[in-house]
Amino acid sequence: MITGLIAAGILLLIIAGIYNSLVRKRNDVENAFGSIDTMLKKRYDLIPNLVETVKAYMKHEKETLTGITELRAKAVSGNISSDEKVQLENQISGAMRGIMVAVENYPDLKANDQFGMIQRSWNEAEEQISAARRAFNAAVTEFNNAVETFPSNILAGMFNFKRKQVFEIPDTERKNIIAKEMFGN
Amino acid sequence: MSSSIEFRNLFDTRLLPVLQELEQKRKKIIGKFFTYGSAYLFLCVAVVFVFNSKLKTDTAIIVLIVSVIVGIIGFFAFFRKDISEIKNVFKNKIIHEMIRYIDKSLLYSPTGFIQQYEYLESKLFLTQPQRYSGEDIVAGKLKDTQIKFSEIHSEYYTKDKKGNKTWHTIFRGLFFIADFNKHFKGETVVLPDTAEKLFGSFGSFFQKMNVSRNQLIKLEDPEFEKEFAVYGTDQIEARYILSTKLMRRILDFKNKAGKKVYLSFTNSKLFVAVPVNRNLFEAPFFSSMIDFELIAEYYRYIELMVGIVEELDLNTRIWTKE
Repeated sequence: MITGLIAAGILLLIIAGIYNSLVRKRNDVENAFGSIDTMLKKRYDLIPNLVETVKAYMKHEKETLTGITELRAKAVSGNISSDEKVQLENQISGAMRGIMVAVENYPDLKANDQFGMIQRSWNEAEEQISAARRAFNAAVTEFNNAVETFPSNILAGMFNFKRKQVFEIPDTERKNIIAKEMFGN
Repeated sequence: MSSSIEFRNLFDTRLLPVLQELEQKRKKIIGKFFTYGSAYLFLCVAVVFVFNSKLKTDTAIIVLIVSVIVGIIGFFAFFRKDISEIKNVFKNKIIHEMIRYIDKSLLYSPTGFIQQYEYLESKLFLTQPQRYSGEDIVAGKLKDTQIKFSEIHSEYYTKDKKGNKTWHTIFRGLFFIADFNKHFKGETVVLPDTAEKLFGSFGSFFQKMNVSRNQLIKLEDPEFEKEFAVYGTDQIEARYILSTKLMRRILDFKNKAGKKVYLSFTNSKLFVAVPVNRNLFEAPFFSSMIDFELIAEYYRYIELMVGIVEELDLNTRIWTKE
């Protein structure tokens, strides 16, 4: 009788341990997802500064600049779906790429110290976004492994923990990396 | 490789004349050692022989051995100045010349070394050293990056029941510090991975259990993960520092070094420790000074350390840190 109780107790403890670890892993994923947002926001915050600095030099790029400002306003407004967010993100990246290419036509701007600093901050933000995404992917992989491997998969099935998708770098992002290379020079 | 041809050239034109001079001096001392030594030995044997009738054979042998040892010690004490002069010239001319050849802006001090507080700052080795020493510091600025490195040796002791101390090495080898090109606040430590190599994926279980370290950081590069275990205070910051490119570069550096490599990132600095289990940059005394292989090896070590800046791309300053 007593041994039975003890065995049941131990089993319960093990189950609780596995369950808690699943929950912890899921929270890690959410946390990591949140930090991508933070990093993206950090990059958006650079845009007004950039537009302000660039405006005086880039006489022919007025439209693009206004466009970027509008996109940013939309992106930070908050009440948008994640699909829209991704799309905005892609549009902003695309427009930024355009600007960075255009900079080549304005040697004065390229030599401007403040612009140089913004470029550096932009690179940093990009690198941090990429780090946040990688951290997110690591957390998702950890979680998925727990969901799909024995014995935690039994509990995952019972409590409806589902496999999550890792972040895939869209094509435009890959091109973004090329834009980043240009930043450097 | 072009670098080995370059070194051959340096050796033949700049180092060889100095080495030949040193070799002559060394040979003179060794010559004296044999002349005086054999005379002294002859004297000892003669004395023992004279008093042979009064001594037992055992005692005679012991007396002889003791006098020979005393003689050798006495000889080296007498010639200490000359020997250390050869060693000093070797360091100040040969080693210094090689360092200047690799980069003119580098400074060298044979007696200086990375200080203990800097060693501790790296968080690479957590055992508190009870004895700490070093030599042969090289320092300078390569383009935008400040670097320094030296040999260091850190040890701790244990006592047995009788209270006898035994010294154990914590780290011995080359210790490198550079100003890192990105800003960061936390600590990230990259250690050679022994657990995962031995136990495969089960090893990462042991890595997690490592209570003396910060959080385990699992990176996506499988080859990197196999070689290293990364611990840090911040998951994202660690990845910000260890970009996919830098991981590749660290792997390349590790292969080039052909040894275990320890790296850490704290206080905006990069620390690299490469264990070498012997005293580097020393003049040979009991063998010929004109030892191309030995000096080429010293050269490779200097090149390896200075090369970290290029190898890990520390001069790329495209982030907010200038």
